[in-house]
Amino acid sequence: MVLRIRLARFGNKHQPFYNIVVAQARSARGNKPLEVIGTYDPVPKTNNNVHDESASARPVKDVTLDQSRTKYWLGVGAQPSDSVWKLLSLGGLMKPKQKN
Amino acid sequence: MPPRIHNQRVTNTLLPYLSSTSTTASSPSISRLPSTSTAPNGSSRPFSTTPAPQSRKWRTDMFQWLAKEGSELKSHVPGRTNYLTRLKERRARGEEGANSKAALTHPFPLNPYFSAENILSEELRNEIHARVTGRNKKSVRAVSVELGVDMRRVAAVVRLVELEKRMKSQNKQLALPYARAVHEMVPTTPLHKENRRAHESINDLPVHKLTNAQIFHPIPESRHFTRADAGRVFSAAPAQDLATAAATAADPTAAVDRATQQPGRIERVGKGEFETQVLQPAEARIPHPHLVALERYRLAHSEEPRESNKYYRTRLLEQERLEGEQRAQAAAREEQSTNKVAPAASRFEFRFRDVEFSEETVGHDGRGSIAPGRRYGVPSEDRKKGQVKIPTSVVV
Amino acid sequence: MRNRATTTLTNPKIRQSWSKYNLFNLTRMRTPQTSFRTHFQQKFKAKSIARAYHGEQVRESQWQRMFSSRIRSVIPMDPYNLAKDDGAGAAAGRGSGLGNKISRAELSVQQAKQYIPFSQMTFAPLERRLDVAVFRALFASSTRQARQFVIHGAVTVNGQKMRYPGYLLNPGDLFQVDPERVMFATGAPKNKSERREGRALRKKKSEGEEATEAEAKEEDSAAAEESKEPAEAEAKDQPKEDPRKVLKGLMAQAKGIMSTGQDVLPAKRKQELRGFQKAVRRVLSRSASSTVLTDNLESQFAELTQLLKAKRAEKKKGDRKEGKEARSPKSEASDAQKQPGAPQGAAAADEAQPGEALTEAFRQAAENPEQEPDTSELSDEEFDVLKRAMVQMRDNPIDHSKPYGTPWQPRDFMSAFAFVPRYLEVNHSICAAVYLRHPVARPGASEVPSPFGEVVGTGAFAWYLRRR
Repeated sequence: MVLRIRLARFGNKHQPFYNIVVAQARSARGNKPLEVIGTYDPVPKTNNNVHDESASARPVKDVTLDQSRTKYWLGVGAQPSDSVWKLLSLGGLMKPKQKN
Repeated sequence: MPPRIHNQRVTNTLLPYLSSTSTTASSPSISRLPSTSTAPNGSSRPFSTTPAPQSRKWRTDMFQWLAKEGSELKSHVPGRTNYLTRLKERRARGEEGANSKAALTHPFPLNPYFSAENILSEELRNEIHARVTGRNKKSVRAVSVELGVDMRRVAAVVRLVELEKRMKSQNKQLALPYARAVHEMVPTTPLHKENRRAHESINDLPVHKLTNAQIFHPIPESRHFTRADAGRVFSAAPAQDLATAAATAADPTAAVDRATQQPGRIERVGKGEFETQVLQPAEARIPHPHLVALERYRLAHSEEPRESNKYYRTRLLEQERLEGEQRAQAAAREEQSTNKVAPAASRFEFRFRDVEFSEETVGHDGRGSIAPGRRYGVPSEDRKKGQVKIPTSVVV
Repeated sequence: MRNRATTTLTNPKIRQSWSKYNLFNLTRMRTPQTSFRTHFQQKFKAKSIARAYHGEQVRESQWQRMFSSRIRSVIPMDPYNLAKDDGAGAAAGRGSGLGNKISRAELSVQQAKQYIPFSQMTFAPLERRLDVAVFRALFASSTRQARQFVIHGAVTVNGQKMRYPGYLLNPGDLFQVDPERVMFATGAPKNKSERREGRALRKKKSEGEEATEAEAKEEDSAAAEESKEPAEAEAKDQPKEDPRKVLKGLMAQAKGIMSTGQDVLPAKRKQELRGFQKAVRRVLSRSASSTVLTDNLESQFAELTQLLKAKRAEKKKGDRKEGKEARSPKSEASDAQKQPGAPQGAAAADEAQPGEALTEAFRQAAENPEQEPDTSELSDEEFDVLKRAMVQMRDNPIDHSKPYGTPWQPRDFMSAFAFVPRYLEVNHSICAAVYLRHPVARPGASEVPSPFGEVVGTGAFAWYLRRR
């Protein structure tokens, strides 16, 4: 059996929100996973605070991640899905996937 | 729409003189007008014997009132409020009543507890903004004390004036004639350079939930039972030991400073979910505790006013420094826990926040509410009756 | 058109509205009878009266969920008193307080002052709603209208569009309404001739658009540019126009207002307009080489202010001869003001105000007969008049494309409802406000605006308390 680190969709129509989960590869998306290790909010948030100069110009996407648990699961051979791979590589936990 | 027939009569004969400010009973033809309309056999229904319905009676009454008494309320008089209470007071007590405070401040005659309070005048608003953001910057707290304006209001004014400047620089349309009219209708607090008059009370103590209950608490007559002790009784905390009580009595300012500067260190009582902070005395819960410290200093050193001013200023600076430090620390902590990544290939910035998913946060059944993320096996109640389904907050 | 369903005269209910029907109902309102009524009847009556005003647009079950028996209140504290004593005196004397030698009558007076009107705070949770707050900030003429503004997307909260009128504002939220809508809601409506002008304008505009469209169809190559060009050309044409023509146009407009809107305009405004006309005539009568007449309105305005400053400087050197003019015989304009008794006192109050100095100058200019027709120089007052008129023309122009009567003036009976509660900080020129905190009660005052007395407030509170 293959363990995967993948996204599980929550939220309503047009309001996606993902849990980053560790689950058996053949289990359904909505099944209860082995473990939740993070969240990913794909809806970008723009800063509309006119008084804050320090704010970044780019819209922001929030990711929360339990670093130690992620490292553990990667260490025991869990395979990230493509989208999670992208996130983990951005977070500096993995090398970016080679495109071929 | 007024009854058509009367209106025509008015337009033909009177209109040139019927400007809104000068319509009073002085014009004889206007005062004659309603008598024709209230006559049971008005010209509109000359041969009818059925009485007019009640609704029509009220309509005629209304237009009669609007033409006579109510005409005074039609347009405003710059610099004075123009409320219904004024008319009622005049009828009851004459001119004296019309110029009484109640007549000028109560918009609703039946509710004496609500009064129209002053708003900030344009100059005062700009002054607040200039003092907070100007060349020699002052803290919101200092400006609030100087001008007698609530701290939250000071902050809001700065925000609004900034927004106004931004809109002006973007050449957006402003509602200037409207703003001018409103400032003429509503009482305003002008800017006084010399004799400062407070705009509102700045040291409001919110009534705490714990103090609603009356408690019968017997104490020996010889005991010095202070506000701090009363707070402990209200929150059901054991009485202070003698040493700390003596220390507090010796230097009350220090005790208040401890509570205001480190609110997290305040003693807690109760167990589990009932754990609460011990209720602090009033001088620690008002917005400007440093004013109490100043008054204490003045009472102790009444012969040196200059010294007390100096004391006040140093304390204020110290407080600002402390607050600034705390803000910086919080920002640094936030900065440290998040990892901001802005990849070149993407339009977005990704913010990685380190969190902990463990048995403590998630709970033994995985349904704990502390950990981030959506939970499994918990029914979603977002479509249930009584659940709030619209946004509850908008982040700035 | 008023909403007949909400403001009736036969079954009067007080609403959150500036309508004159509502005002009349407010004058007729009496405190409800309590004698020979059961407690239930009293409570029922009180709640039905109060709910017609407070959150009439909110369903009853929704309001019942919002109701909270916990009422916020504050006590203003005096730092001097707090510093002077640590509260031990109140516990002394076997709990009756130390040195408390006030007579019973004095005590009752004190207590009356200290009395906090909690029952007037029953409907405080409703003041958090966005639509109510928009109405309270004087941005709409009724809560229903405020609600419409929210639903139609004219209101933003913290810079984001908020389409839910039931959004509960949090302390520190900044809400802003489109200024154009606010001007429409609070301004006097158009009169007949203005409506006609507006129709003509729209017709002209649509015809122009059709023409450009036709052109665009012919020349399908640069369609987008083509439609832009005429507008630009028009914009360019305007400043090139003869400044004399501009002034003449302004005068004609002033005349137009005088003739058409005589029943609408207050006497004071009419005087101002008359003064303006006179001043403009003066300027026009001068030679064409005058420095006052420059390209467009903006630069004219700048020129005028400069001239005015120069004049002021001259005046300080020379002695004051205008005093005599100020006391010159009054014309029919001032007689019109003298007639009613009450407004005269008001006028006196105006003169005392520093901001009204210009208005006064306006009036004087209107009263003064043309005393020096041969000199080409304008008097100080006339400069004042012209400057003010320019400011008004710039800020408050005549524009028939607007949905409200122009120049903008407040709608009738607005002043009878004009107040801004303390829990809001409003900037009216940008139509934005900050919800500072929740409304609170304090000794002798409640911050929830309510037309009802304590009988109604207490009854309503008791009614909603019963299920809790």
